[in-house]
Amino acid sequence: MSTLSVIEIEIVRSALTAVAAEMDVTIWRTSRSTIVRELLDYSTAVFDADGFNLAQSARIPMHLNSMGAGLRELIERFVPIEEWGPGDVIVTNDPYCGGQHLPDILAFRPVFHEGRRIAIVGTLCHHIDMGGSAAGSYGATATEIFQEGLRIPPMKLYRGGVRNDEVWAMLLQNVRKPDLVAGDLGAQVASLTVGEAGLQRLAAKYGTGAFLEAGQRILDISEAAMRDTIRRIPDGVYTFEDFVDDDGITDDPIRLEAKIEIRGDALHVDLSGCAAQVTGPINATPSMASCAVYYAVIACADEPIPANAGCYRPVSMTLPPGTVVSAKHPAPVAHRICTVHRLANTILGALAGAVPERIPAAYYGVSYVCTFQTIAESGDRKVLVEIEIGGAGGHPEQDGASAYASGMHNNSNIPVEMIESDMPLTLTGYGLLPGSGGDGQHRGGLGLWREWRVDSPRAAFTCNLDRFKFAPYGLAGGKAGSFGRLTLIRPDGERQSLGSKVTNLPLTRGDVIRLETSGGGGWGPPERRDPAARQRDSALGYV
Amino acid sequence: MTLDKQAASGRVRIAVDIGGTFTDLQVVVGGQVFALKTPTTPADPSDGLFTGMREAARRFGFELGEADLLMHGTTIATNAVLERKLPPGALITTAGFEDVLEIGRHFRRDVYGLKPEIMPVLVPRDRRLGVAERIRGNGEVELALDDAAIEALAAKLDRLGVECAAICLINAFVNAAHEERLRDALARRLPGLQVSISSEVSPEIREFERTSTTVLNALLMPVVQRYTRRLTERLASEGLGLRIFLVQSNGGVCSLDLAGAQPARLLLSGPSGGALAAQRIAAETGFPNLVSVDMCGTSFDVSIVQDGASTMVRQGEVDCLPVRRPMVEIRTIGAGGGSIAHVAAGGRLEVGPESAGAMPGPVCYRRGGTEPTVTDANLALGRLDAASFLSGEMSLDLPGARSAMARVVAEPLGVSIDEAAEGVLAVANAKLAAATRLSLFEKGLDPRDFAMLSFGGAGGLHAVEVAEAVGIRRVIFPRNPSTLSAWGILHSDIVQDFARSRVLRLLEPELPAMDALIGELRTASERFFAEQDIAPADRGLSLAADVRYVGQAFEILTPWRREIGLGPTTGAELAVLLADFHAAHRQRFSYADPDAAVEVVTLRLTATGRVSNPKVSLADAGTDATAARTRPIYMRGALRDVPVVRREGLAPRATIAGPAVIEEGYTTLIIDPGWSARVDPHGNIVAETGADS
Repeated sequence: MSTLSVIEIEIVRSALTAVAAEMDVTIWRTSRSTIVRELLDYSTAVFDADGFNLAQSARIPMHLNSMGAGLRELIERFVPIEEWGPGDVIVTNDPYCGGQHLPDILAFRPVFHEGRRIAIVGTLCHHIDMGGSAAGSYGATATEIFQEGLRIPPMKLYRGGVRNDEVWAMLLQNVRKPDLVAGDLGAQVASLTVGEAGLQRLAAKYGTGAFLEAGQRILDISEAAMRDTIRRIPDGVYTFEDFVDDDGITDDPIRLEAKIEIRGDALHVDLSGCAAQVTGPINATPSMASCAVYYAVIACADEPIPANAGCYRPVSMTLPPGTVVSAKHPAPVAHRICTVHRLANTILGALAGAVPERIPAAYYGVSYVCTFQTIAESGDRKVLVEIEIGGAGGHPEQDGASAYASGMHNNSNIPVEMIESDMPLTLTGYGLLPGSGGDGQHRGGLGLWREWRVDSPRAAFTCNLDRFKFAPYGLAGGKAGSFGRLTLIRPDGERQSLGSKVTNLPLTRGDVIRLETSGGGGWGPPERRDPAARQRDSALGYV
Repeated sequence: MTLDKQAASGRVRIAVDIGGTFTDLQVVVGGQVFALKTPTTPADPSDGLFTGMREAARRFGFELGEADLLMHGTTIATNAVLERKLPPGALITTAGFEDVLEIGRHFRRDVYGLKPEIMPVLVPRDRRLGVAERIRGNGEVELALDDAAIEALAAKLDRLGVECAAICLINAFVNAAHEERLRDALARRLPGLQVSISSEVSPEIREFERTSTTVLNALLMPVVQRYTRRLTERLASEGLGLRIFLVQSNGGVCSLDLAGAQPARLLLSGPSGGALAAQRIAAETGFPNLVSVDMCGTSFDVSIVQDGASTMVRQGEVDCLPVRRPMVEIRTIGAGGGSIAHVAAGGRLEVGPESAGAMPGPVCYRRGGTEPTVTDANLALGRLDAASFLSGEMSLDLPGARSAMARVVAEPLGVSIDEAAEGVLAVANAKLAAATRLSLFEKGLDPRDFAMLSFGGAGGLHAVEVAEAVGIRRVIFPRNPSTLSAWGILHSDIVQDFARSRVLRLLEPELPAMDALIGELRTASERFFAEQDIAPADRGLSLAADVRYVGQAFEILTPWRREIGLGPTTGAELAVLLADFHAAHRQRFSYADPDAAVEVVTLRLTATGRVSNPKVSLADAGTDATAARTRPIYMRGALRDVPVVRREGLAPRATIAGPAVIEEGYTTLIIDPGWSARVDPHGNIVAETGADS
């Protein structure tokens, strides 16, 4: 076997990243649904022949660091790697088989060169709907996964390049927007084809042996870098807790605890202090919980490290089955992102004990997923899935940014005018929320407000929000950010405060839903805030 | 007819491209083209412009009074934004949407960054004023604008004492009535206020991008008007009756008045000159498909000429601020001669993204740079000559470059200095190649159908290797590479884009609605032609549509091949657009869905006023290529004795076999082994590999 120079490895790495970027561009430009096209809720990645992540496109940490775990689980437990053939596309959306939640379809294709499997390419897209009790498959009151929609066990959607039309038909029969789901799934397959061709081109150029060796060396290099960065964090045990409001079924708060032990160049995260799994759909599985761990650890590194499976090697975790971060079948999981965001808040909070100069106060810590299904006189139904955000936490070096996609997700918003050109909805306002950022030497970024008015005779509203009871924490003496709020405003002006988790709330023409998102926590004691900054805050109406 | 006009009005035309360091001129005098460079004068760029023009007149034997046309590229708008030399302005929005500008589109660029990137907000919150009014998505007025609201707004603006204001109301792209009423009312009450409305500047859907563009436009109005006024006065005081046009982002030029009213069109106009030059070279060399790469000290810009025309996009950004104007499509990566090499965590060799820039610059510039750069690597290997850099104007520090390379790269990696320097180039070239490939890839284009056009100070050292990595077999090095943009500007036309956004299905029942929009566009274009005094024979119109499958977010700009007459659009014409859209979608995205519903989002009409093309001939110069000398260069793992020739010494049709070095005024070209180069009849050097030349 040839031994490659670091230069050759760097060139292969940049080529692998370029392939992931080309796959990304393919989905970005070919997908059909609003959620993929405007919210950018998808990711692409390149794996080695055994399913370890080598390179990824710069999109959403939640997806990226979970695709590898999901793929490994899929190979080890469901579709043995020997059964993967050229032209196959293996898909699943099942959280208990390596998936995320049901709207996220994972699609993988093995890449062969000279008769040998040299890599796997993968994509993950959040689809607009997968059936189930609520539009967008985002029911907030499910008590078992069977209510959440169609489950696709790991299977070959394409075998040797030929689509299984029967499976395809069954899938589309069970979703609310079959044309959009078919379009987005088509975009995923197109992206895999592009990735496959790109990797084959690389293997042809460098030779199969060199290509495979480069992959392993890339992992080794990231592992070494990760170990270096962990070694520079003081040894010790750092513990932090935070809470999820409730599971939407009962009012009980759900405690998350992270105990991080750093010893030399290894980092262990013990999550056994987390609450038991809950009845409502905010449970997470190990592949979801682990991506919060990986995200937080990679983000707090003191120098940029190419994120890949090598970074995971020095990191271990304890995830006892039956906890809310390692739920057992058939617990519902549609809103696992809520717990995963909070887990990221918790782990970053623990790391602040070790490297306080790097860690900001808590960001809003929830994906504000709001789903509207409008029903016209004719019975015509339209679905809008929005994902809003709040403020970033105050940072040791600067104020938190307002309305800034932080942490586990990284979405764009949907233009008001795009919604209004397509849906019987009118947005009656969209703005920053003064006073929502936690006070501190460095103030938390502001959350925002957004209001939707129903213009159709009937509509149904579903959401799964959080931080209505436990605000984003401040650090180093900074104050907490604001609570989230949700209000129903009737045409006669009557206001009704809603809880954070709502399923299929019936609405009629003229009803307005008002969302207020949390600002970030503040960093440092408020009395140390620069008076000029205070003056600016009040002049600009930020407080 | 156009030639008559030219003959009647003068024999001299001047094109000027004002860059950060140099002001480049290309001048046509009686059919001959001349080039000149002069330092840029940042305090008042028109100083450098006049110095250059006078110098050109003296050197090339003409009187400034003989010049009838000045085509002028300027970065004044872009620089004002980058340096924040903008006047205080206000933003007027629909009440409830005052923060759209600050909220933006949310997503972060650095996925793992914990310290938020601060996005620039050009109009702070206390100068963003909401006005009670609302237009719905279909254009209906839900809440009418009343006089009391206008009065209150005018009073507030008066108190703020701003110089300019942008107005951007929700859904104004469908119905501009409220914006126009506000503008007219404010003009009456506050005559000194410059007002810019979104339905004029960027009449397209998506409120954040429209607001951002309109705000930039409003803030730039005083800046650009000040400049154009000064320029006009100066010309008048010198008794010059030149017609002046400014270069826009869309690859055309516009009048000074239009530039003053819509200065956003000057933003991102920098690449226009290069794109125009690339189109021109595509025509004269007979290679209609070009990847144009411009590599300088800090960046690498890629743009594409496909079937003879530069590819355009509908939106770009300056300093993270979206600018929605048609512009030359360009991919920029931060890799250039100044990119710094270092060994990163885990023993990785990284090149960039940090750059030594012009100050302190590479180690070899002797300006205090200590970290080895791509330029240092080129020097260390002998690819650049320490003595003949910039024609000998600046001698380079070879030992300094080699010792920095040894300390920072070779020793940590345990390789020789030559291997280290070659590794730095290989890593840099891999990035350049990836960017070049992605530019082609995202349009579904095959590199083998393309030639590379290389220019910029550092391009010649990398182009052949990058082309090889991408699978391109031909590289064109244009003559006068250091004033190429000015040469492109010399050939530009007056181009004005009109757009109307309305989401409509591409179905026959929607044709009347589409025809109404086309009618509006045509009326606007006729008014424009009349205002600009463009003769009927010089007018050109082309229609295009942003088309997508229903539900997609990103439209494909599809030229609508049809007559733009007065009659209604026919079913057959609609079918042509549909078929072209499906075909374009298939090319870009590898699939098309003829059964899926298709919609148009924006209709675009481009009005072109042809400016007569200068008739030029090439001065015959040069002698046979004689490689008077050789120099040792470390290339592909071995030290070779490589012939060195001066470009000025090359006769037309001369050929040189690689490996070879061709040196010229400001650049050095490396022709790798396996390649050969020839001089074409137009003075371009064409390097080729393989037997198909």
